[in-house]
Amino acid sequence: MNIQTKTIAAPEIDIEKKSSKIRTEFFRRYFRVVHALFAVLILIQFLPDQLTTETYSSYAIWFAVGVEVFTLVLSALIKKPASLNLFVDIVAFIYGLLIAWTLATAKFNVLKAALFPPPGKVLWQFIGDYDKILTNIQSSIGIILQGYLLAIVVAIPLGLFLGWSARLGSAATYISKFLGAIPPIVYIPYGIALLPTFRSVSVFVIFLATFWPVLAGTMSGVMNVEKKTIDSAKVLNVGRFTMMFSVILPASLQQIFIGCNQGLTVSFVLLTSAEMIGAQSGLGYYIKNYSDFGDYTRTIVGLIVVGIVIVFISFIFNRIQKFLLRWKQ
Amino acid sequence: MIKMSKIEINNLTVNYTEKKKSFTALKNVSFSIEEGEFVSVIGSSGCGKSTLLSILEGINSPTEGEILINGEPVTGTGSDRGVVFQHYSLFPWMTARKNVAFGIKQVNKTASRAERYQLADEFLQKVGLEQFKNKYPSQLSGGMQQRVAIARALAMDTDILLMDEPFGAIDAKNRTILQELLLELWENATPRKTVVFVTHDIDEAIFLSDKIVMMTANPGRVYREIKVPFDRPRNRIELVQTKEYNKFRNELLAMFYSDIVSKIGGEEVVL
Repeated sequence: MNIQTKTIAAPEIDIEKKSSKIRTEFFRRYFRVVHALFAVLILIQFLPDQLTTETYSSYAIWFAVGVEVFTLVLSALIKKPASLNLFVDIVAFIYGLLIAWTLATAKFNVLKAALFPPPGKVLWQFIGDYDKILTNIQSSIGIILQGYLLAIVVAIPLGLFLGWSARLGSAATYISKFLGAIPPIVYIPYGIALLPTFRSVSVFVIFLATFWPVLAGTMSGVMNVEKKTIDSAKVLNVGRFTMMFSVILPASLQQIFIGCNQGLTVSFVLLTSAEMIGAQSGLGYYIKNYSDFGDYTRTIVGLIVVGIVIVFISFIFNRIQKFLLRWKQ
Repeated sequence: MIKMSKIEINNLTVNYTEKKKSFTALKNVSFSIEEGEFVSVIGSSGCGKSTLLSILEGINSPTEGEILINGEPVTGTGSDRGVVFQHYSLFPWMTARKNVAFGIKQVNKTASRAERYQLADEFLQKVGLEQFKNKYPSQLSGGMQQRVAIARALAMDTDILLMDEPFGAIDAKNRTILQELLLELWENATPRKTVVFVTHDIDEAIFLSDKIVMMTANPGRVYREIKVPFDRPRNRIELVQTKEYNKFRNELLAMFYSDIVSKIGGEEVVL
C-alpha cells in the first residue's frame, strides 16, 4: 500500500514543484526594477516643459520604448542569469541617466539650457545628422585602422626577432626601452614637416603610438617564454621560421595583446585630440567644429558617438583576444 | 670489425660555472646502449641523470667527451631522437591532435596536412585519447598530457626515444597504467626503438628496462650497470610475486642506499 501511494504521489509533487519553479523563473526574468525605471522615464516625459525651445520628448519616448522592447526580447533569449543581470543593469543605468537628464533639463531647467540640451533633442539631432556622423566615423576609424594595423604588422615580427636576440643578450632591449620611453606625440612636429596631409600625419602618429607598446609587449613576451617551451620545440628539431611563428609567437601572445590594447587606447586619445586641433573631418572635428559654433546639442551627440565607437571597437578587440587565447584556462 | 652500439657515451664530463663557482655535474661517464634496448638511468637527485639526457637530446653540450649515435658524434638536436619531458612537452596553444601533427610535420615534411592528421589520430587512438583529440593541454589531466606526449614521440617514428622522468609527476595508479601502455607500445613495434628512460623509481626501472644504469652524485658518475634478468612480456602482478624479483629489487635498493650512506658524513645528500 505504502509503496503504491508513494509512486502515485511522487509525480504530482514533481509537477507542482516544476510549475512553481517555472513561476519563480518567470518572475526572476521579467519582474525587475529596470521596467519600473522605464515606466518612470515615460511618465516624466508628460510633465510640463520649462524650456521655451522644442524638447522633442517624443524622440525620448520612442527611444525608451525601443530599448524596452529590446530588453524584453533579450530577457526571453539570454540563457545565463549572470549575462542577463549584466545587460539589465546596463539598461537600468541608461534609464536612470535619462531620467536625471530629462528632469534637470526639460522639466526643471536647473542646468544651463544652451550647454545642456534635453535628451530628446540630442536624439533628434542624432537622427538628423546620421549621414554626417557616419562619414566622420568612417574617417576616424579609417585613420586608426591604417596606422594601427601597419604598426602591428611591423612591430610583431620585429619584436619577435629583437626579443629573440635579446634573450641571447643583445643591445636591442636597451635601445627599444629608450625609444619606447619617448611619448609619440613629440614626433608630431616631424610628421607635420615631413608629411603632406593631415591624414598622413595622423596615420604616422598612430603608427608610432601603437608601434612602441606592441614592440615592447612582443619583446617582453618573447623574453618571458619559458625555457622548457623552447626546449620542447628544439628537441622537435624545428626550423628557425617555425620556431619564431609557430612557437615563440603563440607563447608570447598574451603580452603582445597587452601592447596592442595599450596602443589602441593611446591611438584614440591622440586621434580625437589631433582632429580637434587641425582636421577637416573625423569625430574630434565634429565635436570641436560644432562647439565652436555654440551648437552643444551636436557636441553631445559627438561625445556619445565617440563613446559608442570606442566601446564597440574594444568589444571586437576583446572578442579577437578571447578567441586567439582560447587555449588558456 | 666489432659491432657498433646504437649509442656510445664516451668519457662524458660536464662542468657548470655559476657565479664564478665551478660545479661538476658529470664526470667521466661512459656506457653504451644497443639498438632496440630499453635502458633506465636511475639515481638520486643531483646525480646528473637529467644533464646526461639533455646532452643526448642535443640541448646541452659536454665539457669533455662525446656521445656517438650510429658512430656519429652528437652536435645538436636531431630528428633521430624523440623526447618526452616530465612537464611542458606539449604546446598549450595546440590541441592534442595538433601537437602530435606538429611533431610529425617536423620529421616528415612531405606528408600532407590530411595525412599528418590521420597519423596523429591513429597514435592518439593507440594511447586511448581519440575522444580528447580536440582538447587543449590545459583541459587534459597530467596523465593524459603525457599520453599525448608519448603519442607524439612515437608518431614521429624516431629510432631513439629519450624520456626524462615522464611519469614523475603522475599519481601512482596512473603511473602503472602508463608504464604498461609504454611497454606494450614499445614491445609491439618492429623494429623496437632504443629507449633511454630517466627515473628515480626503482620498481619502474625494473619493470620497464633491459638494463639499468645506476648513477651516483657529487660528481655524477656511473655507479653500476645492471642487466635486468626477467623475460618479456612481463606481467607486473606475477613478476612482483616471484622470489627472484624481490631478491633483485633488494639488491638494487641496497646498492642505491649504500651509495647514499657512503656519502653521509661529508657531503649533503639530496634524496
